Amino acid sequence: MKRKNIYILALMPFLALILMYEIVPLFTIIIESFQPDKGTGFTLENYHTVFTKLLYQKAIENSFFISLISSFFGILIGFLGTWSAEHIGKGFRRLYMTILNMVSNFAGVPLAFAYMILLGNAGLMAQVGREFGIEAMTNFDLYTKNGMTLIYVYFQVPLASLLIAPAFAGIKKEWKEASLILGGGAWSFWTKIGIPIITPTLIGTFSVLYCNALAAYATAYALMMNGLSLLPIQVAGSYVGDVQMRKGLGGALSVVMMIMMVAVILLNNRLSKNFQKGRVKA
Amino acid sequence: MRSKHKKRSGITLLSYFFVVITIIYLLIPLIATGIYSVFENWTGIIPRGFSFQSYIDLFQDELFIKSIFETIVICIVPIVLTSFVVLLALFATLVYFPRFEKYLQLICVIPYTIQGVILSVSILGLYVEANGILSNRLVMLTGAYCIIILPYIYQGIRNGMQAIHMTTLLEAAEMLGCSKIKGFFKIIVPNILSGVITSSLLAVGIIFGDYVLIRNLAGSQISNMQIYLYQAMKTDSMKSSAVFVIIMLITFIIAVIVLNLSDKKKTVKNTK
Repeated sequence: MKRKNIYILALMPFLALILMYEIVPLFTIIIESFQPDKGTGFTLENYHTVFTKLLYQKAIENSFFISLISSFFGILIGFLGTWSAEHIGKGFRRLYMTILNMVSNFAGVPLAFAYMILLGNAGLMAQVGREFGIEAMTNFDLYTKNGMTLIYVYFQVPLASLLIAPAFAGIKKEWKEASLILGGGAWSFWTKIGIPIITPTLIGTFSVLYCNALAAYATAYALMMNGLSLLPIQVAGSYVGDVQMRKGLGGALSVVMMIMMVAVILLNNRLSKNFQKGRVKA
Repeated sequence: MRSKHKKRSGITLLSYFFVVITIIYLLIPLIATGIYSVFENWTGIIPRGFSFQSYIDLFQDELFIKSIFETIVICIVPIVLTSFVVLLALFATLVYFPRFEKYLQLICVIPYTIQGVILSVSILGLYVEANGILSNRLVMLTGAYCIIILPYIYQGIRNGMQAIHMTTLLEAAEMLGCSKIKGFFKIIVPNILSGVITSSLLAVGIIFGDYVLIRNLAGSQISNMQIYLYQAMKTDSMKSSAVFVIIMLITFIIAVIVLNLSDKKKTVKNTK
């Protein structure tokens, strides 16, 4: 009996914290998404608004594609970088990993600002373009969906690299030697052994990057304000802004966003599991 | 044999090339903005008029000093609180009910997935019309920060406890006549302190880089350096670039300390 008391006493502060600021708020937001803004009762009206109003349809579409594309390129660059880092000198690799660690915190408002200085309308690239008469450089428009994707790729690269690096460390030298003895070259080692081994890691990394991009708010807000309709911006807009708080609509948007995350995580877990099963069979 | 050697050096060369390109890609925005901050005029190819004026102006701006001060203050309470609460919870769970640990982990990982926007609006929606202290903006913000750093604090403390084999140590202490609670505070906590400090620093980095929580929850009550940068961006790009450099310097210093601390831990473990 005494054991249990101590246990509950020690757990109390933690339970209070997570109930008050994590569990109850999240449940409330889900419940409110099924309630009308005025009065009580059950309604699907909020979800109807989300899926029929062009602004919110666009938000879902933009958020989904920007997250997808930026995650893909983030993983591609991160993978190539980490793969290359395996073949370079130790000191240089350390430098590379340190830089990755440092810039992994470079996101949000500062990142948006740096890209405005670099690629904005009056940015450095536009000036260089003007000087040399290169129109593509002068006319590049950062304040579009593509510009936004470009910035998102930037903060995905270090995150992807740091998540993929441990998997490379897990590839043992003996395997390479064994493959070499059996007559395999570097190409066949990577296509037949290396990449299959790290594929589950790549799939897991994709989930993290995708959620990371989907939830990113500060970068998009600092760059475009409300110029590009994105899910997190619409969510925040329904609670904070000039208009009255629209809890029902904001709740529905939040739930859609959470479903978009959970769906991809579950799908990827499934893929990863199937993949590992297949490997065992083979 | 020679052709094999050539092939290998080809791969090495390609690898160096790719790593260098990636480093350039990652550093260009930082370096360009850094250069921008110390020149008065960069409208051609070459920047002109070297000066530290924007930095001097910045440190004479009361609002900026205030934002630095508030950034530091708002970090401390959530980190101390969360570390303490997680320490107790993990101790109780691992010692008495280890099979519940997976639920603890799940709860602690949720914030990592949902992140700032949904967390901030859900807390705001719930407490904005509440009575008393709960509707205080700073209380809401502190609660939100506790949750957003939870995954990192949890992981740090969990790894620390695992590395020192907490339950075995506690059993040994008990055999020697020391109670589990006493053993926890006298043996476990001092031994995992370095892990707690590392994850706390990581949490400092996260709160320091936060924009969404403080914007949505604090209203105009308190502002950090990110908010200051956002406001400055709209009016003065010279001043903002100086703010940018200071923010990035602090961020990098934190990141390098965290990296060194965790590296040190790894090497200690390896030599054992």
